[in-house]
Amino acid sequence: MSEEYDVEFVERGDREARFLVRGITPGFANGIRRAMVADVPTMAIDTVRFIENSSVMFDEQLALRLGLVPLTTPPEGEFVEDDTVTLSIDVEGPATAYSGDLVSSDSLVEPADENVPIIELKDGQRLEAEADARLERGKDHAKHQGGVAVGYRHLQRVEVVDDLPEFQEPESQIVRGVVEENGELVPTSEFDHDLSTRHPGKEIRLEDVPNAFVFHVETDGSFSVEELVTRAVDSIEARATELEDAVQL
Amino acid sequence: MSYKCSRCKRDVQLDEYGGVRCPYCGHRVLLKERSRDVKEVGVR
Repeated sequence: MSEEYDVEFVERGDREARFLVRGITPGFANGIRRAMVADVPTMAIDTVRFIENSSVMFDEQLALRLGLVPLTTPPEGEFVEDDTVTLSIDVEGPATAYSGDLVSSDSLVEPADENVPIIELKDGQRLEAEADARLERGKDHAKHQGGVAVGYRHLQRVEVVDDLPEFQEPESQIVRGVVEENGELVPTSEFDHDLSTRHPGKEIRLEDVPNAFVFHVETDGSFSVEELVTRAVDSIEARATELEDAVQL
Repeated sequence: MSYKCSRCKRDVQLDEYGGVRCPYCGHRVLLKERSRDVKEVGVR
């Protein structure tokens, strides 16, 4: 891409982050959000072979639960779409089968969380199964969505205009996310999301900053937020290049 | 077809003429055993 965008992190965690992007259009911001949700391939269980299931649940129900277990996704280039990795589980009751009981044949693909309960087994019950995980995109099935809570808001600029008239009752002014005040980014959680507590007795003007968006991204553990955003932007670039090549005469 | 008697827990083979009854204890509630085959299920 020829243009450069200004990106500034407000909160940065491994699975959750909030960052500001300046210089993008609303359409492009939505494109990034959609790419994060639907276009970044992740690993998820696609077929399960049940060797023994004497639990109280049907094979199909357990297969759906196994499919929703988030798996770590290998670095780009290690796998191509539709590649599979086999995982197995063997738990005998009385015990609860957790996602951590899944044993993978490849150390790059493992359950992202070890404490997702799959089924509670009573005395004498047993679950033994083998599962194939496949690399696919979120648009094929929701279990392949790497970004689970992805959204954005316009960045809002706060300006103190004047004092409130002497006898006017102060009204609460609720804002969410991050606001810009005197050129600084302030998370609204710092003042309980209410501008009237931050500036008591003041008249406040709030306006959208053009072409500046605050993204809030949370992943299911397949990869870090940074990786998710980078892969999403790469997928947009790849599709744009493909389109450019296709329409050239 | 393999079944298990719900009272005496013994394995029972049903035939066409014997009716639904345990030949050992006469109980008429039989449970169908799960097949030993590996079952493949798609996650969709």
